[in-house]
Amino acid sequence: MRDFILKRVAALLLPFIQMYGLYVIFHGHVSPGGSFAGGIVVGLAFIAFATIYGLERGRAKMPERITTLTESYGTLWYGIMGMVGIIKGAPFLANKLAGIDLGTLGTLSSGGLISLIGLGVGIRVASTMVTLFFTMMEEES
Amino acid sequence: MTATIISNLPVFVVITPLFVAFILSTFARRIRLVESLVITVLALGVLGAGYLASLVLMRNGIPIIYSMGGWPAPWGIELVAGSLSAFFLLLVAGVSLPVALFTVDNMTHEVGGSVRTTRFYVLYLLLAGTLAGMAVTNDLFNVFVLVEVATLSCCGLVSACKHPRAAEASFNYLILATLGSALILGGIGFLYIITGHLNMGFASMELSRIWQDYPHVVWIAAGFLLVGFGVKSALFPLHVWLPDAHSTAPSPASAILSGLAVKGYMICLIKVLYNLFGSTLIQKFALHRILALLGMVAIIAGSLFALAQDELKRRLAFSTVAQVGYVFLGLGQVNAQGLTGTLFHIASHAVIKSGLFLAAGAIIAATGKTRISEMVGIGRKMPITMAAFTIGSLGMVGIPLFSGFIGKWHLLSGSLTAGSTLAPLVIVIGSVLAAAYLFPIIRTAYFEPAQAIDGQDPGVPQRIALILLAAGVVILGVAPGPFLELAGRAAVELLALK
Amino acid sequence: MKILLDKLIINYPYFAAVILFLIGAFTVLTRSNLFKKLIGINIMESAIFLMFIAAGNIRGGAVPILRQSNPEALYINPVPSALMLTGIVVSVSVTAFALALIIRLYQSYGTTDARRIAEMKREVT
Repeated sequence: MRDFILKRVAALLLPFIQMYGLYVIFHGHVSPGGSFAGGIVVGLAFIAFATIYGLERGRAKMPERITTLTESYGTLWYGIMGMVGIIKGAPFLANKLAGIDLGTLGTLSSGGLISLIGLGVGIRVASTMVTLFFTMMEEES
Repeated sequence: MTATIISNLPVFVVITPLFVAFILSTFARRIRLVESLVITVLALGVLGAGYLASLVLMRNGIPIIYSMGGWPAPWGIELVAGSLSAFFLLLVAGVSLPVALFTVDNMTHEVGGSVRTTRFYVLYLLLAGTLAGMAVTNDLFNVFVLVEVATLSCCGLVSACKHPRAAEASFNYLILATLGSALILGGIGFLYIITGHLNMGFASMELSRIWQDYPHVVWIAAGFLLVGFGVKSALFPLHVWLPDAHSTAPSPASAILSGLAVKGYMICLIKVLYNLFGSTLIQKFALHRILALLGMVAIIAGSLFALAQDELKRRLAFSTVAQVGYVFLGLGQVNAQGLTGTLFHIASHAVIKSGLFLAAGAIIAATGKTRISEMVGIGRKMPITMAAFTIGSLGMVGIPLFSGFIGKWHLLSGSLTAGSTLAPLVIVIGSVLAAAYLFPIIRTAYFEPAQAIDGQDPGVPQRIALILLAAGVVILGVAPGPFLELAGRAAVELLALK
Repeated sequence: MKILLDKLIINYPYFAAVILFLIGAFTVLTRSNLFKKLIGINIMESAIFLMFIAAGNIRGGAVPILRQSNPEALYINPVPSALMLTGIVVSVSVTAFALALIIRLYQSYGTTDARRIAEMKREVT
């Protein structure tokens, strides 16, 4: 009961922090920020959860098995998105050349594959941050 | 399908190892699968690099240019596969495959546990991928990122063992190397500020037009880059991290670090110096004199330090410092002979030194002895290992018919062409010193009365790796053929830019 | 003298970058505490980031995001900022790795002082 206020506030805020992180990840090409900054925000939400509710409960939210998978396949997702260009006969990481419709200026779709690539990078960054935090905390104890 | 792969080959040789490295950690439980994946990827790399090299040779010096994302050069990132790139790609693939073969079945007891071994392989593939990237990149900022990823993987490889000494060596390496990369980034920043380009070709055009307006900035940029890459590639007064790092790392890691990683930074330096500054500017700013002088000091000092070591891996590590000197000495001779010699020396040293480190690792693993004076009579117990070591030593000294000879020969004639009197002398003295610090090991191993010392040759994959590398030393020495051709063409291309 | 001072004042970000860089390099090379060395590295890298970003800045320039409302606006140069984002990522990884190494060193030697560690290593051998 000692951290009652902290825990309540965190429970209220953390979902919104994560939503904000996802927003930053997806809107990297139309607003400041991007997949790295957004990924950090998402990762920090998990780290904040672990510091407030204790390491065990934090680890239960993000077990090592999951972070290994998200780290690996987040990066692989980037590669797959890059390969879209090659499959369509354009160079690696091609966007408009690969026949992606770029929509209207200033909207989410105007980045083509960029938001999707950003999703992979964001997942990777978030899980890396979580891994770094837990590795150091567990090494310490 | 095949046509798609071939037209995208410059990017595939870089991204395949990288992306396989990233998914490798999900298979940590099945170490067999991890090992076979690593070997497969590196074997594919050999095929790709070989095909690319033949393509480059057929195109008569017209480089293959690949624009990432389809954006043309000044805006997009460009990969250029010319003679130099093909040469270094072939070298990276050709050396990293035998070294990886040596690690099969062999790493778990040295590194401990299958998870840690998988991490070792992740770093190994990352290093191979970034080195391939250094070969083909033509973008200054890519150079920085690749150098940085390579540095981090190198530090990780050094600290792969749980030994506290390895952690300390790794930390020192990390601090000095990061200092170096900060300097490299600073140098790139200055060049970007005055030229406005990150693409080396465009930056070079701009630089040759405006350097007279900013001589101090060019000086500072050159100095930053030289010191930065000097720290990374262990140029003599900046080599302090190398002996500890390379002697405490697991042996295959030492082999790849001494053999290839150091060379990657040199290739980057060569690219920056000759593709960006250009030979005229190098001579205007007297950079070639500085390089040659530092190289000569490194040869003598590194060899003398190597003579003083009794620990086998430390002696080999200091020998790397000396051999780095040859490369810098050759860089300082702005003529085709000298540059050919430098490039060929890079290749021959990569093959030789990885072979020597692997042989040393096999000896240490089999006998538990790390000091040369204790390795009495090892030649009779471990014939294949010691034979590989002997061939490597002969190549390192520069005996004719072994690979070291051709590189040194070209360096020698290059330095004579350049009109230097001191450089040829230093090259010869360096060879004599190399004989002085390598031949006693062979004498101890073969000709001293044997004690009751245990040990036998390592397993089959390890033997194949040693034989492959020893064969490489002999083949490069007897029939350098297309390899020398590539090096020669790369030298001419590097000098073509005024 | 006045021209020199004017140049310095106009280019104050570069001046700050040089000072920061020197502080960082000095810290790395002279302090024996591993944490201080790491902090020095970080200061040094920040100096380089500052230099890059200052080089890309155009006074009065807009955020470099293409908008339909004013496509003709004067944008600052986004390339250095993008590059430095990568640089920051690299710096984060270096810091994390170095911290992990410091933890391991502390576990085996019981100190974070480079000089003490070197002494203890010499005693062992």
